[in-house]
Amino acid sequence: MVSLEVRNGFVIDPMNGVFEVKDVFVKDGRIVESLDKPEMVVDAKGKVVVAGGIDVHAHVAGGKINMGRKMRPEEMRYPRFKSDNLRSGVGRVLLTSPAIGYEYARMGYTTVVEPAMPALYSIHTHEELDSIPIVDKMALPLFGNWHFVFKFVKNDEIEKLSNFIAWVLAKTKGFGVKVVNPCGVEAWMFHGNVYSLNDTDPLFGVSPKEVITGLISAIERLKLPHSLHIHCNLLGIPGNYEVTLETIKLTRRFENSERQVMHVTHVQFNSYAGESWKDMSSGAEFVAKEVNRNNVTVDMGQVILGHATTMTADSPFQYELFKIFKTKWSNLDVELETGSGIVPVYYSPKVRVHSLMWAIGLEIGLLVDVDKVVISTDYPNGGPFYSYPYIATLLMSEKFREEEMKRIANVERYSILPSLSEERTLEDVVKMTRVNPARILGLNDRGHLGENAKADLVIYDLPPEPNPRDYESILKALSNPSLVLKDGKIVVKEGRVVKHTWGETIWVKRDYDEELIGDELEDFFNYYTVQRDNYGVPHVRREVVLC
Amino acid sequence: MLILRPKLSFEVHVEAEITPDLAEMDLKDVLNFEVYYGKLVKRLGDLFDVETVGEGKRVILEGDFSRVKWIGKGMKDGEIVVRGDVGQHCGAYMEGGKIIVEGNADDWLGTEMRGGEIVVKGNAGNRIGCNFWGEMEGVKGGKIIVEGDVGSYVGEKMVDGYIEVGNAGDFVGTEMKGGVIVVRGNCGYVGWDMKGGEIRVGGRFDLPPSFVEENGVWRGDVNVGGKGVIRKL
Ligand SMILES: [Zn+2]
Repeated sequence: MVSLEVRNGFVIDPMNGVFEVKDVFVKDGRIVESLDKPEMVVDAKGKVVVAGGIDVHAHVAGGKINMGRKMRPEEMRYPRFKSDNLRSGVGRVLLTSPAIGYEYARMGYTTVVEPAMPALYSIHTHEELDSIPIVDKMALPLFGNWHFVFKFVKNDEIEKLSNFIAWVLAKTKGFGVKVVNPCGVEAWMFHGNVYSLNDTDPLFGVSPKEVITGLISAIERLKLPHSLHIHCNLLGIPGNYEVTLETIKLTRRFENSERQVMHVTHVQFNSYAGESWKDMSSGAEFVAKEVNRNNVTVDMGQVILGHATTMTADSPFQYELFKIFKTKWSNLDVELETGSGIVPVYYSPKVRVHSLMWAIGLEIGLLVDVDKVVISTDYPNGGPFYSYPYIATLLMSEKFREEEMKRIANVERYSILPSLSEERTLEDVVKMTRVNPARILGLNDRGHLGENAKADLVIYDLPPEPNPRDYESILKALSNPSLVLKDGKIVVKEGRVVKHTWGETIWVKRDYDEELIGDELEDFFNYYTVQRDNYGVPHVRREVVLC
Repeated sequence: MLILRPKLSFEVHVEAEITPDLAEMDLKDVLNFEVYYGKLVKRLGDLFDVETVGEGKRVILEGDFSRVKWIGKGMKDGEIVVRGDVGQHCGAYMEGGKIIVEGNADDWLGTEMRGGEIVVKGNAGNRIGCNFWGEMEGVKGGKIIVEGDVGSYVGEKMVDGYIEVGNAGDFVGTEMKGGVIVVRGNCGYVGWDMKGGEIRVGGRFDLPPSFVEENGVWRGDVNVGGKGVIRKL
């Protein structure tokens, strides 16, 4: 089928200012103005029609999630997909690649960003992305602890840094620039960490502040579609909200009228006040205020109570977690560029810190301006991505939050969540899951249903303004879309995946001058275990290159 | 009470989660109960003859069940008697009731069981009363008695309960946290990374160097700050 009409649905398309009953036409995988004779008509009367969801931050592929799978065979005891026309998929929270694509499609999501690709492991990461069906994918290489980045920053060589970034994006088929605990991961290799923006890395003597501003300068110079994507210093440590505020303030010297200059990811984990785990409290209010007054966006990093597996490039933080949970731990050093750690967790409603994390995420979701925040769990760190409908419903219904707080250990002493009566509307949720992510990533072909947008389209069995007190219906409808189109093809019907398709891998190409960074590249291949001829991602299944 | 007999000699493994609950179901539903023959979905009635004999929450398995896996999985009460050998995963996740195996049992007997009792008159395989791969806790309660000998790995990550075997292989009570393991005969290494609980051995055994002798027993594993006890029967 190449053409289709979605008739009589209530279209919520905030990017194009549409909030009305309207027919939507699809031809050859794109939204078109009109159609003479659609080959198929879908009746969406009484339902809402929105664009496909976009996840800006979920660890869905690469060395970390795969190491997590190896470490946690107990996660693989849960069958999910075994129908004849699909690939089999299993997993509790750590899913196999096919299950990841299907579960995204099942809740109406059609694009996902893998936000932490060690450049050295980019071949593996793309192999895995190539095994995730239906959704479109992107990957962000890690730059925040790379020796060459430190060197360029130290010598204030922003032009060389820009060239290096462009070279890495081309070699790794990367989409943007990710930073994790800048300088801290490198310091960890010397048994340390950094504790403020002005601390320095032991080898080059550069500070997180210099690395962050240097990278932003280079990114803006390259005019990359996505801004710096940062996992701040001191993540997961009580009192860290102050370093988050300082990090956000670094953006003030930069201007960009098209998009944010910094995306602070899973900000819940970086919004803690207090001085220790014992007196930890919420710093979300301060963080939200600072986000709202700067050209910065965030995703929530919501914690879902239950099983999760923490996996970040933030090795020192992962070691702290291991000392708390004493379960399993793996630690990885990726040559000259980054590291990582993995620790399983169980977020218990009976543990005060965990319930507080749950509350802080929701505070962020309610207090940050609605056009600056995106729903996320930092999958699988905060919990499963397939809980996004649950998060959306919590944000939409105060009553649901009250119900949930009954089973969750006393949050009221340390969090203001119980006093927040804000309720996000369905249109707000569309912004937080479609419009904002598309703008944040600089992708104008999705997140909306205007002419020539990708026909990634979702129909939910909901009225445009559902009653927040009837949260059960909202949750049920958001979890089971009536229909999901990916590139104009029906992939989900009534919450069931009906078709296996392959999405695209999007990466960003910028011109670079290899001569300019010739010395560094020579060093690179002198000190790496890989040879120049073998470095880089040769091909991916279906690629789209943004030039 | 039900008596089940295989209709054929199985070429591949059968996965049949047979519990005493079957004895309380309508015969029609019993015959329709879903089982796997290799990768093929089958009905219990396709693979087994089913005979109903009197009352009682009991299932008797007659014939060769050595390739039938998951017997008694998660059972809560009642009794299963296997008049012969039984396949892997027998009594896994068991919570109550009793399983008697008159022949030999295969690997993974009583994995992650929570309660109830398993008695094996013959021998049993490897990983008796252990955890499944990856899980942090193994057996949390109940009793496993093997009158014959068993293979390696008995009671790994055991939290509570009682396991008794004849001779055993290597690695008895690895990472044990609680409960009691009795090896009546000889065995290999015992108690590596043991945090708590007690291992009693009647015959020869290998002691890791990380245990400290104290009043005729050994305490450890000191490498993990463990307070486990190893003693002679
Ligand atoms: Zn992350």
